[in-house]
Amino acid sequence: MSKQALVEVRGLKKTFKRKDGTVVEAVKGIDLDIYRGEVFSLLGPNGAGKSTTISMMSGLLTPTEGDACIGGFSITNQPLEAKKLLGVVPQEIALYPTLTARQNLEFFGRLYGLHGRELAASVDETLEFIDLRDRQKDRVDTFSGGMKRRVNIGVGLLHKPQLVYMDEPTVGVDPQSRRRILDTVIRLQQDRKMTVLYTTHLMEESQELSNRVGIIDHGQIIALGTVGELIQKVGEEDRLVFNVGEQPISEALLARFQTEVPGVTKATYETVELKPVAGMEESAELVVEKRSTGQMVVVRSGQVKDGTIVVYAKRGRKALPDLLRIANEMGVDVLSVEVREPDLEAVFLHLTGRALRD
Amino acid sequence: MDKIWSVAVNDLRVSFRDRSIWLSLVIIPLVIIFFIGLANGGFGGGGGGARLLVDTFDQDRSDLSAELLANLKVVNPDIMLCPADNNADDVCRLNGESLTEALATGRLTDGMVSATLVIPPDFGAKALAGEPVNVIYRSQNATGQTGPVLQALQAVLQRTGGAAVAARVGVEVFENSGLVGATFRDEAERTTFRQEIYDTARQTWNDLPPAVTFSESAEKEGRKPSGFSQSVPGIGTMYVMSTVLIGCLVLLTERKQWTFQRMLTMPVAPGQVVAGKMLARFVMGMIQYAVAFGFGLILGVYFGDSPLALLLIMVVFTLCCTAFALLLATFVKTEMQAGSLLNLVVLILAPLGGAWWPLEIVPQWMQTLGHLSPVAWAMEGFRNVIFHGGGVASVIPNVLVLLALTAVVFLIAVRRFKYE
Repeated sequence: MSKQALVEVRGLKKTFKRKDGTVVEAVKGIDLDIYRGEVFSLLGPNGAGKSTTISMMSGLLTPTEGDACIGGFSITNQPLEAKKLLGVVPQEIALYPTLTARQNLEFFGRLYGLHGRELAASVDETLEFIDLRDRQKDRVDTFSGGMKRRVNIGVGLLHKPQLVYMDEPTVGVDPQSRRRILDTVIRLQQDRKMTVLYTTHLMEESQELSNRVGIIDHGQIIALGTVGELIQKVGEEDRLVFNVGEQPISEALLARFQTEVPGVTKATYETVELKPVAGMEESAELVVEKRSTGQMVVVRSGQVKDGTIVVYAKRGRKALPDLLRIANEMGVDVLSVEVREPDLEAVFLHLTGRALRD
Repeated sequence: MDKIWSVAVNDLRVSFRDRSIWLSLVIIPLVIIFFIGLANGGFGGGGGGARLLVDTFDQDRSDLSAELLANLKVVNPDIMLCPADNNADDVCRLNGESLTEALATGRLTDGMVSATLVIPPDFGAKALAGEPVNVIYRSQNATGQTGPVLQALQAVLQRTGGAAVAARVGVEVFENSGLVGATFRDEAERTTFRQEIYDTARQTWNDLPPAVTFSESAEKEGRKPSGFSQSVPGIGTMYVMSTVLIGCLVLLTERKQWTFQRMLTMPVAPGQVVAGKMLARFVMGMIQYAVAFGFGLILGVYFGDSPLALLLIMVVFTLCCTAFALLLATFVKTEMQAGSLLNLVVLILAPLGGAWWPLEIVPQWMQTLGHLSPVAWAMEGFRNVIFHGGGVASVIPNVLVLLALTAVVFLIAVRRFKYE
């Protein structure tokens, strides 16, 4: 892949003024290059500033400061030229529900400057690409969520743009449709040689699709690079998560983990308040959300706290028998163990101290 | 322009996909036009404008002046001379006031009467003497426009003048004939002789059909304004306003479903998107007018003799509503808010501007207040054409006012409109 930048973002900033007069800095100055032919994902939790950034980069919002250039055209000063190179797939299903799939594509195609045979051919090709040719004459409001998403994507591809922005395109779709959308992104890059900017809060999507990832939090890019480069930031350590319930844990146990087991660099203990999951309060056993990991666990009825020991180790699976032995010697009953290899989730946790889902 | 048109056509397509549009665009307006038309006099004339009110000042009070006024009514039976013909129903709408020239000027300006006629003190004497006489005639018809009152006046003056000329010529011929005894003993004898010739000439005129008459033949019954001549433009205008102002709701819905934002990410100038949306509303407004006036034509309603003038008012009023739709779009934040505001605006401005009943029948202060509504300017234009026989020139002032209002509202709307 060549390193020629198709998108250059410099000092992009957006502030909003609230009704009470206070100013909110939604995007705090982003610098970014997106190279031709790559899938670049902008990964961050909800409210991190992903959609605001993509809105400024597509000309929908005027930046308070800074600019984005697409193929050398400034989105603020030469918007029409820049937008010709760009297809946008918004997070919302931005379609006319009472029109058919074909009518939607035809209308938006005209706005992209397509006419006559060129428009008809492009609509046919797009319907084929999103696999909805047989449903082209059906109204969009009769479609499933996944089908609507596909039409929504199709609109952004009508004019065969060099660059496609996709803003959380898998929000609210079933796993099968989600897989189809992810495959679409892969095909856009591999078959059509398109450049894709993909925003998501799902680490798995970002990790699967992206050549490079920008992690965004509180309106700033806090890390940028390939998935491998980002994982190196956390030292390629595995995380071993021991669930110990309400048992008291001594500092001595944590100290033995760090000193006696080869490869362990750090051991921490934390407790969380357990929250019953809605609708499960009356069960004999409470089902709770364990906030530190995001996973759902079953604990004893009446238990209000949950304790977790997190151990960082270079070769986690190899260290596990020794760790369990020491815990047993110290009288700690380990309820469950999870070994997590380094991923973008860990990178985010490492950089912000919070999980992506928080 | 191509993209503006694409946006407009798509907007119309989306609008007509909703079947309820037929209810609001066709069925309900036509039902209301029909019943309001019936209430205003139906097919049998009325509409508050079939009568031609003429404020008259007979300063001569001679037989000749009385005869001129009487003949006016013979030539056109719709002419009501005020205050002479006023009755218990206050057909002259004087509200107990004495008619003065100042009041008459105001009534004429406000469109309450069709014309003002002042017969000078020496009218009879001068007419009989064959001297030029100035009968003062004022109307709202533009220069060059001959309204029905002026036409009747011209016909009557032609008769009166003709008889007077015959009398003067007769006296001169007799005196200059050289016949024995062809002299008058005194001035009284001369006056009596002249009067006899005048009476004979006048009788001869009366035996001939008048040059201009407004008597109706059976086949021309439909040419007279009826109650529907008020309800069609009135209710039509109200529904045009409603149909076009809904444009603010359309913009809101498009923002909500994100199609508006999607268009802004495409190679289209934001102004083109909004212009396309507004063009669609303008077309919808014109369709609404076509539905209303088409229904009127089916009912055989008389709409005057200047379709061009009517079209001019329709175009300008619809344009004005389009500007208001854009302005409202800058205020409303929710669909509920938009719906309430639309009802409020339409239900205040329409009756205030004379869409439900002619403004002529409401008190003077209400008429003045009514002209704050653009509906009043449109309705006044329609009535000039339909009830007073006006042409394009008669609606120019109304068109200019509506255009000025459109420009001001549009400028404010554009300044306030936020694409983000």
